[in-house]
This record gives sequence, structure tokens and C-alpha cells, in this order.
Amino acid sequence: MTRKRRDLVLHAALIAIAFLTMVPLLFVLNNSLRTNNEMYHAFFGLPGSLVSIAKFTWYELTGQPDRIRLRADEQERGETRAADLPVQTLSYRQAMARLGDDLSRGYRYSWKVLRPYMVNTIFVCVVTAVGVVLIGSVAGYVFARHRFPGHRMLFVAILSLMMIPGVLTLVPSFLLVKQLGLLNSYGVLILPYIAGGQIFAIFLFKSFFDGLPEELFESARLDGAGHFALYWHIVLPLSKQVVAVVGVMTILGTWNNFLWPFITNADARYHVVASGLYLMGQSQVAANFSTMFAAYVLSSIPLLVLFIYATKPFMRGVTSGAFKA
Amino acid sequence: MRDKLQAIVRNLGLYAILSPTFLLLAVFCFVPFVWAFTTSLYDYEIGGDRVFVGLANYGEYLGDPTFWSSFRNLFLLTLVSVATGVVFPLGIAKLIFSLSGEHARYLYRVVFLVPIVVPGVATLMIWGGMVYGDNGLVNELLRLVGLGDWARGWLAGPDTALWAVAMIGFPFASGINILIFYAGLAGIPESVHEAAWLDGASGVGKFFLIDLPLVLSQIKLLVILTIIGVVQGFQGMFILTRGGPGFRTMVPGLWMYFNAFSFQRMGYACAIGVVLFLLILVLTVLNLKYFKSSEDLQAAL
Repeated sequence: MTRKRRDLVLHAALIAIAFLTMVPLLFVLNNSLRTNNEMYHAFFGLPGSLVSIAKFTWYELTGQPDRIRLRADEQERGETRAADLPVQTLSYRQAMARLGDDLSRGYRYSWKVLRPYMVNTIFVCVVTAVGVVLIGSVAGYVFARHRFPGHRMLFVAILSLMMIPGVLTLVPSFLLVKQLGLLNSYGVLILPYIAGGQIFAIFLFKSFFDGLPEELFESARLDGAGHFALYWHIVLPLSKQVVAVVGVMTILGTWNNFLWPFITNADARYHVVASGLYLMGQSQVAANFSTMFAAYVLSSIPLLVLFIYATKPFMRGVTSGAFKA
Repeated sequence: MRDKLQAIVRNLGLYAILSPTFLLLAVFCFVPFVWAFTTSLYDYEIGGDRVFVGLANYGEYLGDPTFWSSFRNLFLLTLVSVATGVVFPLGIAKLIFSLSGEHARYLYRVVFLVPIVVPGVATLMIWGGMVYGDNGLVNELLRLVGLGDWARGWLAGPDTALWAVAMIGFPFASGINILIFYAGLAGIPESVHEAAWLDGASGVGKFFLIDLPLVLSQIKLLVILTIIGVVQGFQGMFILTRGGPGFRTMVPGLWMYFNAFSFQRMGYACAIGVVLFLLILVLTVLNLKYFKSSEDLQAAL
């Protein structure tokens, strides 16, 4: 096979697999713009209001405004069946307003429920990521560039804590935070994450700092730089890459964690996106399909934005030395 | 002794810098670790008395009605996950790696990563409702091709529930696993490819004889990570089936969760947690000991 033919076959196979992977997401995107009625009527189909918008715009542009006709607003229908509502001729503007309303209904409803959860999650993610990066980089730096009694033992102790599986500590951790009076607070969402997340961060930062030349630190120390100055002016600026990797991985993990926020926060004030989505699914809100689908889309946007900015550090994080057996 | 003391005093500043790390680890990692074992020896309800019962919780778990079925389910889910988590991503990574354009190779790696922006809970709910629901994708597709009789509640049927759970994520194109395998394939030295070419190996034969053995350390890593993930993972079952119908999709982790947070049996739940911990420990050790990595293979050659 020539190289070109071979590439063609490979592209076809990969595009097919990528399409299959994305199918559920494409349906979510499509159905977030459709009403329950439309979905019951035909599972496969484009959003009716979107189709109408395209159609009416065509009528408007081709000078057939009398064909811009919609059924009377469902909200004013009272006891009449939807199919019996009179069809009205509307101005292009009115029709667009109505259709835009229909199209965005799911998003408007779900945003109302989701917004406080989003704010909480972003707050928790940012504080956790900053905490993990700060504590992880400081400890990683100390372990890489300094020797002191217990140096090795302490580092091994940290690494061995990485081997403790979450399933073992889930229940006792709950008992602990309950005893500490941390239930229903931001603390319960942040402190255990920083405690657990720093382990991997220390490991990554230490291996990075191990590779830096000693002369760098030597000359700075000769210039009279203390621990803090050394950290702030040399260590942090040099480790931008590691900071990005650790930050992205921490945010990803925190954003996705469902069980811990779910069991430690009964108070709706502290729900995060993951637990909030689940509770939305159990509530009345879910009766409107488009609201749920819109919620899935909305809850993916922050990470999508992060992903667009951080593709490189993310990929480096996954393929870095830390992921070799 | 005196020197050591002096060294400690001289480095007090460093210990102070490390203190937040160790304080957090001691409180939120070490204490729960110890409590898991100690609590498992008690009969304990929140707000009630702690009664020491020795190993009785463990004994009771061996006779638990969910014991055999949940471990059987776990075993099956683990087998399927290991197979799908290795075979599909490795195949896709090989396809991507075989492309001739560097740009295209990068693009596909990014494309397969995109689904990770969807929160895990949302992905599960999407599969539960939109894919497996009564009016979901699978049933509607069946109706579309005239096989409407086959349409059913996939997660609700005793015969289909476990398989439906196992098939979540089809076609299993996990972007992270693909990246790990891709890095492995890219790490195979050019000289190996040349030697294989000179020996006349090509195509599928070359894949099994050259590529596969040389990404063995990646396979090993993903196998153990997948096993640890499945043994610990019960989020999917919690959200989609709650272990039902009956105990058809019950797994030990979920039973632990129910005992702790529905039945308030903290001691019993901790005992289940300890059993799962020991299982993970044994599997990890076995994997490290008996599953030869590519470094060992290369050294042996």
C-alpha cells in the first residue's frame, strides 16, 4: 500500500471511532435544544425551533413574510390542546423572540439551578489547586535541595501514603470530618483534597527540582537570598510547567469528585456541580429533559475552557515520567 | 547523638516549612487509615455506643448475602474493564502512531482527550438516561431498524443490567490510556524498527512481535490502575442501578457505602473497606512480582 492510501484508511478508521465516542455527547447537545414533546415525537431529529428559525429567516429574506406563522403561545393556551391552538401570522421579530425563547428554555432553567453549584465548584477548585501547588512545590523543593535528619524517611513516608486506596478511607474520613465539625462547610471540600493531592505534587516537583543545577541555587544564596526569596524568585518561575501540570490535574480531579461532596454536604449551600447534577436528576427539574441535557453541557464548559488553554501541560502531565511502571 | 541534635536544630526552619504538609497528611490521610482498621473491630452507629466485637464484622461479611454475587460481579467487571481499557486504547494509539503526518497525530490525540471535560457524573447520567433509557439511543436505534421487540430497560433487566454497566463508555477510547500507549509506542527505538524490517517483519506480525512486547510496561501499568479503579469504583452502580435489580449489579464498594450511609453500620462498612484494601494490596504485589515489564524483557534479550 502506498503511504497515501494507508493514511486514508487510518483516517477513516480513526474518524469512525471518534464519531462513535462523541455520539452520546452530540445527542445531548442536540436534545438540550428540544422540548419533551419533540423528543417523544421523534428521537432522531433536529431542534424544531432551530429549523423554524432557519426557515423563517429564509422567508424574511426572500420577501414572503406572510409565511412566518406559529401556533399561539403555549403558555396562554389554558385548557386547549396544543394541536388545537390557532396558528398566527407573526412579524419576523416576534417569531424570532418566541423561537429563541423555546430554544434557550432548557439552558435558562438549568442555569438557575446550576449557577450556585458552579460558583462553589470553581471556588473549591481554585483554592485546592493553589493550595496543592503551593504546599507541593515548597515541600518538593525542600526534599530536592536540602539534606536534614529524617530526610529520606519522611519522603518515603509521604510516598507510601500514596498507596492507600480511597475505598479504605472513605468511611473513616467521614467519621473524622464529622468529629472535627467540618460537615457542611467549604473546609471539608478543600482540606482533604489538598492533603491527598499534595502527595503526587511533591513527587512531581521533587523530581523536577532534582534535575536543576546546584550552581543556580548556590549563586542566589551567595547573593544573600533567603529561603523565601529563593523560592519566590527562582524556584517558582522555573517550574511553570510543573505548576501547570499539577494545577490542571488537581482541578480535573476536584471537579469530577462526586461521592465525597455528596456525603459530606447535606446543606444545599455547599453542593458542587457533581453532586448538584445528581440531585437535579433526582428532582422535579429532571422532568424537563432539555433542562438536564443543558445542565450536562453547561457543567462541561469550564473544563472545556481550561482544556483549550491547557492542552499541552495536560498531555505532558499524562505522559510524564510519573506514569511509567 | 549530639551532632544529630545539632543538625535538627540547625534545620528547624526546614521542618517548619514542611509542617503544613505533615499536619495535613497526619490528620486527613494517616488518621483515617488507622481508624479504618480500628473501627472495623467495633459495632458502631453514629450517636450510639461503640461495642468491641473483635473480628465478628469480618466473619459476618463472609456470610453476607451479597458476598458471593458482589465479588462475582466485581470479577466480571474487572475482566471486561481490563480488556477494554487495554485493547481499544492500544489499537487506537497504534492507528494514530501509524499516521505519517505529525500534525494529524497530534490532532487525534487531542480529539480523544476532549470527552474528559464532561464531568464523570454527567457521563454516567447520560449513559443511564440517554443511551440506555426506555426512549434512549439503543432502544430507538433498534426501533429504527425494525427490531423494536428487542427494546427494553437495559439497566433494569436482571439479565442485561451487569453487561449494560460494563459496556458504558463504548468504544472505550479513553484519551488518557491512548496517550500513555502512544508515549510507549513513540519510545520504541528506531533501531528496533529497522531490525524488524530487515528481518522481514511487517504489519500485524510486527505489531504482535515488536510493538506489543515493548509496550508491556504501559500495559502492566494500565492493568493495575484499571483493577485498582474497578475494585474501588462503585460510583457508576450507585448512580445508575443502586446495585439492582436484586443484587445483580452489586459490588463490594457499593455495599460498603450502603452499610455506612444507609444502614449506619460504620464498623461493618470499615471491615468491607479493609477487605477491599487487602485485595488491592495483594493484586498490586502480584502484578509487580510476576508480570514482567518490557525493561526486564529487553534486559533478557
